[in-house]
Amino acid sequence: MKYLLPGCAAIILAAGSAFAEYPEKSISVLVPFNAGSGPDSSFRMLQPEMEKLLGQPMVVLNVGGAGGTVGASQFAAEPKEGYNLAFMPVGTTTTQPHLRKVSYDDTSFEPICMTIQDPMGVSVSPDAGIDTIDALVDKAKAGTVTSGGPPPGSLPHIGQAAVAAAYDIEFKYVPHEGGGAAAKSILGGQVDVLVDPVGSILNYGLKPLVVLNGERLPAAPDVPTIDEVGGKPLRYSIWFGLFAPAGTPEDVLNKLDEACKEATSTESYKATVEKSGRTPRFMDRAEFSEFFKQQYKDNASLLTAVGLKK
Amino acid sequence: MIEFIPSAFAATFSVSVLLALAVGTFAGIIIGALPGLGTVLGLVMALPFTYVMDPATAIALLLSIYVSSIYGGSISAILINVPGTPQSAASVFDGYPMAQRGDGALALGYATVGSFIGGIFSLIVLVLIAPQLAKFALQFGPIETFALIVFALTTIAWVSSGEMLKGLLSATIGLFLALIGPDAMTGQIRFNFDSLFLSAGLTVIPLLIGFFAVSEILYQAAVLKDVKLPAVTSGGFKLAPWSEWKPRIMVILRSCGIGSFIGVLPGTGATAAVFVSYADAKRRSPNPEDFGKGEPSGLLASEASNNAVSGGAMVPMMALGIPGDGGTVVLMGALTIHNVIPGVRLFSQQPDLVTLIFVLLFLSNILMLFIGGFGANIFSRMLRIPTTLLMPLVFMMSVVGAYAIRSNPVDLFVVVIFGVIGFLLRLNRFPPAPIIIGFVLGAPLEMSLRQGLILTDMNFLAFFASPIALILFCITGLIILNLFGLGNAISKRFRKKET
Repeated sequence: MKYLLPGCAAIILAAGSAFAEYPEKSISVLVPFNAGSGPDSSFRMLQPEMEKLLGQPMVVLNVGGAGGTVGASQFAAEPKEGYNLAFMPVGTTTTQPHLRKVSYDDTSFEPICMTIQDPMGVSVSPDAGIDTIDALVDKAKAGTVTSGGPPPGSLPHIGQAAVAAAYDIEFKYVPHEGGGAAAKSILGGQVDVLVDPVGSILNYGLKPLVVLNGERLPAAPDVPTIDEVGGKPLRYSIWFGLFAPAGTPEDVLNKLDEACKEATSTESYKATVEKSGRTPRFMDRAEFSEFFKQQYKDNASLLTAVGLKK
Repeated sequence: MIEFIPSAFAATFSVSVLLALAVGTFAGIIIGALPGLGTVLGLVMALPFTYVMDPATAIALLLSIYVSSIYGGSISAILINVPGTPQSAASVFDGYPMAQRGDGALALGYATVGSFIGGIFSLIVLVLIAPQLAKFALQFGPIETFALIVFALTTIAWVSSGEMLKGLLSATIGLFLALIGPDAMTGQIRFNFDSLFLSAGLTVIPLLIGFFAVSEILYQAAVLKDVKLPAVTSGGFKLAPWSEWKPRIMVILRSCGIGSFIGVLPGTGATAAVFVSYADAKRRSPNPEDFGKGEPSGLLASEASNNAVSGGAMVPMMALGIPGDGGTVVLMGALTIHNVIPGVRLFSQQPDLVTLIFVLLFLSNILMLFIGGFGANIFSRMLRIPTTLLMPLVFMMSVVGAYAIRSNPVDLFVVVIFGVIGFLLRLNRFPPAPIIIGFVLGAPLEMSLRQGLILTDMNFLAFFASPIALILFCITGLIILNLFGLGNAISKRFRKKET
């Protein structure tokens, strides 16, 4: 009997310290795309900084396929102790559930933080002789303008449809494997327009006409925003964030949020991300959760508008 | 760019860079030789190690793995009839028969030197005319790509010698398997039978392991009693005399050319390039009947072209930021993490880095020649392991490799199911290679055709308006005519008229 009290205390202490010391083992981070893809390299830039702060290794698990839905479905059913996280982009989390039958929705995940947000832009070939969005609109009104990009339902596809709708014109959409393949068709003169993140547009050597963002971008200071040239205030971006399965303990989420904030504010991280042509953007847990819910709703109505929502 | 060469070499001659090159080359060869672990997985496995390295060392490690893993695939293709990587699928045709008749060392010699020449050839192409070639690649829009893939499909005829109908059937199976998964043109999922895992589609490595490795294991188990095990030669690496090389120089150079050319065009892929080279070598050979029975030209065509693709595929990646195949996708992602951003600005803004990459590629190829040459001695000892022990090991490694690529359980089923199907097909003398050709060409064939039809408002005749496509269609037509002996008949008739 005399050992009971200290025994209990020890158990409580041990349990308490177990929480206090999260993480006490390595953390698995599922990326629902193959190694070397955009989401994968975006997380691998963050990974060393996070590992330093958390004091535990993070193990990347690439589960690619079907727009990230295979990985995301698997992730939604994983244990909720904070040792299974996922790094996922906008498409997998907010458009795919509206496009096809998947076993997850916006309530399956607990957003932790956003790390990258790349505003998209409208671009053409530098040899096309088109310098402004108005010139492009005129060309579309006079004849046929083709636009390329990843398969229907992807953000670039929705983006180009929204731009066309805003200007009351039509683009003939030619799906490609991804943005890179579409960029090749545009440089080769087979296709006219690509709506893609501005960083990618610049890497491919395409000419951005407008950015679909509130402000001009540091990477392309000469390119006007769509608002500046009198267009509708369209806002389209590709973003990436860290998620936990719904039901993960609060203190774990807060600890990860904290670590993410610190990791994304280091100079070395920011420099690496910017150099790769992406835009670092941190949103903390509260802000990102709000944003995520809104995006989920907005993209549902966008997909309905382009006739793709199931 | 020349002014950066001394500094690039200077940057290379540090202990860490040279060590990274040596380790990368050695590891790359091993990874390539293990069925299932290919270029992609090799790069992914090396990636975490590069975080703590300076950029030059990291790039050295990645590039040397990229180069040598393609060569490594030929070792298992030659010695155990199982291609280590999809790119070495055509090396089994003549490499394994050579090993079976006791010329394994000679075959490794051909493969090593052929790979080296292919690598250096494509590097020269990359250094001299990368920006121009990138411009040329842009001429290949959907319609031209479609014509090229139709042309590449004719290679099926040359890898299904004597069993044409069965070869075509196999290819059709391959084309069908490529339809499973997301339809890139609509985003809809096809043939997934409501299975989440199947909705991601199939990938080439599990299929390759099923059709080549598992079916080979089952085949050996089934016929083991009758197989006379090859007499193991003591020397692991033997160079053929010059008199054997001399008549094959044109085969090597043409394969280098084909490999570099197809490598430069994104979306066709290394596997297609080796089959096109193999078919070309067989077509032009004075003794096509020896192909598939241990003719060194067939092995050389395959090995020279798959390493030539490595340099070719770097062209669109470095000059346009558009990776041409699975290996360059990972390589580009890895380079991005190390602040090397492939794309139009790389050549103008970071010419020193571009030069460094060239120098590292050059050294990787040299090291591959030496490590491959000396290592062959060790590798060929694999043949001393009894088949009953070696093949289960190969099976285990293959399955691990098939799963590791994207952690999808469906890939495990694919390995086993298609292993059994492959075994049954093999018993009925169906060649397995056309299935792989059909599969790797299926997706780009469908995509380019449908893209082309959108661009031409569903008017297929408009495809013939493209000069490049027209030339490719004509070549394809002539090859098919020739195949059925019609070409000879027509030319005979013409000759008769003339006389």
